[in-house]
Amino acid sequence: MSAPLMVLVILFGGIAAGLIGSLTGLGGGMVIVPLLTLAFHLPIPEAVGISLFGVIATSIGAAPRFVGTGLSNVRAALFLQIAASSGALIGALVAHHLPARLLFALFGIVLGYSAIMSFMPKHSDVAGAPESSPLARRLRLGSRYQQAGNWIEYQVVGVMPGFGIMIGAGFLSALLGIGSGAFKVLAMDRVMKLPFRVSTATSNFMIGITAATSAGFYLSHGDIPPVIAGAIILGVIVGAYAGGHLVRMLPVSTLRKLFAVVLLIVALQMLLKGLFNL
Amino acid sequence: MSEIVRERRLLNTWILRASIVLCLLLIVIGLSVFFVHGGTHIPATPSGSLRQIIRHAVHAGTGLHAGTFLDAGVIVLLLTPMARLLAGIYVSARVRDWLYVAIGVLVLALVIIGVIAGQSGV
Repeated sequence: MSAPLMVLVILFGGIAAGLIGSLTGLGGGMVIVPLLTLAFHLPIPEAVGISLFGVIATSIGAAPRFVGTGLSNVRAALFLQIAASSGALIGALVAHHLPARLLFALFGIVLGYSAIMSFMPKHSDVAGAPESSPLARRLRLGSRYQQAGNWIEYQVVGVMPGFGIMIGAGFLSALLGIGSGAFKVLAMDRVMKLPFRVSTATSNFMIGITAATSAGFYLSHGDIPPVIAGAIILGVIVGAYAGGHLVRMLPVSTLRKLFAVVLLIVALQMLLKGLFNL
Repeated sequence: MSEIVRERRLLNTWILRASIVLCLLLIVIGLSVFFVHGGTHIPATPSGSLRQIIRHAVHAGTGLHAGTFLDAGVIVLLLTPMARLLAGIYVSARVRDWLYVAIGVLVLALVIIGVIAGQSGV
């Protein structure tokens, strides 16, 4: 395949990644790495590095939806970001020393888990905490948001377990080139008892910074070929934008299930490549 | 709505709009130059410090190479979350919330360490 044709195909692949990532709610990273490694045979560090830039692009693309809503808890985001960025830094350092097959297998497991989780309902049934823990009080993590004209106050607990999960989320993000949004929301919603909408908005703010911590590493390490990265970034932004609009017009729950099945097959393929080099 | 909330919203909206437009513009120009030249010249993969990468891109810019614009687009994208972080630090400083200024600076340091660690080839 000639270089211009390959770049065009990658551009359309990026659009598909942005579209699928947006419709399934999994983000572009989950699709970019398998696309670049399985279809274009790029070395996994390059695919992961490029994917991290795709993650930043989707995070920025989704951000206007949350800016000004007052949903994002900036204090919680900044505090938990210490953990996520530390994890991302460790992940980026470790990634270059791990065998590619291990990364493929790990990616397969995480993608499979995320695809299964995308079948689950998006809203949360977790009850809010009655009062904040002493550490959350000291850090002033409890806050409030507006819903239908009323202010809803919430308290925060489980700060240190949440902090621990964020280290893991940052580590996986850097290692596999994903946003780890599902793990971040899990930490805030399930463990720290932040309202689900607050967790989602706060997670969006954090995903970009976490990805930037390791993307900077991959860029200065020489893992970002500019033409492929440019095609992926452009494609992901266009695809995510189109996905955001299509969500209102298409039977999304059916599409989500369809794509989740496709991603499960891709996960299996990544796992087989990791385990048996198939 | 308090003045500080309005200021934060304005700052974030401005950062997001400016960066996405600039990044897309640079990448579209870069890919266009690549295709106009027949796709025969594959730009070199950048490495080293951000300063080196920017300097390399600027030098290459005199010849209107695709890599110049693409590298610049990638760097704009990388700097956007950092700009949002700086905005968070600025807003914390405006309300004299020094604990969160310190936390924000620590996070920013971690992001910068990432770039430095990558260039040292660890």
